[in-house]
Amino acid sequence: MNSNLTNRLLVLSILVNLSFSPLLLAAQKYQLDNKQLKISIVPRTAEQIGAFYEGRGFSKKMINILKQQCFLTVIIKNKSKNIIWHNLSNWRFESNNTDIMRYDRSYWKNKWQKMQIPQAHQSTFRWTLLPETLDFRSNEAEGGNIILAYTRTPISLTAVFKTKVDSAEKPVNVKINNIRCAKH
Amino acid sequence: MLKIKTIHFSLLLTFLFVLFVINAHARNEYPSPPKGILKLPPYPAPEIKISDIDGKPYNLSNNKSHWIFVHFWASWCVPCRKEMPAIQKMWRNLKKQGLKIALINTAEDEDTIFNFLGIYAPDIRALMDADGTATEKWKPRGLPATYLVDPAGSIQYQALGGRPWDKPVYLNFLKKLLSKK
Repeated sequence: MNSNLTNRLLVLSILVNLSFSPLLLAAQKYQLDNKQLKISIVPRTAEQIGAFYEGRGFSKKMINILKQQCFLTVIIKNKSKNIIWHNLSNWRFESNNTDIMRYDRSYWKNKWQKMQIPQAHQSTFRWTLLPETLDFRSNEAEGGNIILAYTRTPISLTAVFKTKVDSAEKPVNVKINNIRCAKH
Repeated sequence: MLKIKTIHFSLLLTFLFVLFVINAHARNEYPSPPKGILKLPPYPAPEIKISDIDGKPYNLSNNKSHWIFVHFWASWCVPCRKEMPAIQKMWRNLKKQGLKIALINTAEDEDTIFNFLGIYAPDIRALMDADGTATEKWKPRGLPATYLVDPAGSIQYQALGGRPWDKPVYLNFLKKLLSKK
């Protein structure tokens, strides 16, 4: 293997680790851990977002738009023995008594299509987002990004997850306060 | 006398029918999966017509009559990087036993795939879902995603996230599947 290729692989591996390994960014991590769920939220800086998507060959135009947003990498683990239903429409982000806009998949799909972004990049981008809905099985963990309109003020997250225990519906309510977007 | 013979004949028929049902059930009963693998109500595997890294066409349905390990991955996905060496080891162990594998990269370029698989899974043919549309037809829960497709072309199992496929519990499970053709 030539040294150029080795360097590229090394840089790629560092970028991926820096961009999406929450363990390396313990300083800014918001966490909720109860009997049923563990939720970790890590805000990403514009530099991290830029480095990650640049490493995937995304255009500058696309990256500049993404760098202006508030990126939160979210990891959810179902610690219970039952299925927990996740639906992002049951998540609410609030700051200063105002709902914070969450840019969902359809928003980005429309935007990228209008900008004629290559299908491969659109697909990769979608895979980096947190699924809109998922039936989390026992012990299953999945993660991905949530993209919000950028704000400097602290954000409160309230979310409701549906569960069924012995055929009775028992929602799991989640509240995480004081989340801050990473500085731009 | 005729009545007794008729009763005997009916009993024999019933017995044979029960035997047939039990046998048919036993033949179709797949083993319980280890931790992290879901047994699904079987459904037909979506079509995959893509190319490999050398541009040669690949059609999933050409592998019917074998169990197929269908795996979707991307180099940027951290659990994919952790899981790939285990897949390589599993494959070395089971390829002679008739397991087929479809290792499908989601929407990355040839250089990235070549560099990655050259290190982590050099023995496995690299398939490219160049624009990501084949992957999306399968609606994975996330990446990595693994499905086990039976010889009739139905999805029977789905793995939740990355799995240590080279560990005895997973290898033995796959061996049991391969013995059920």
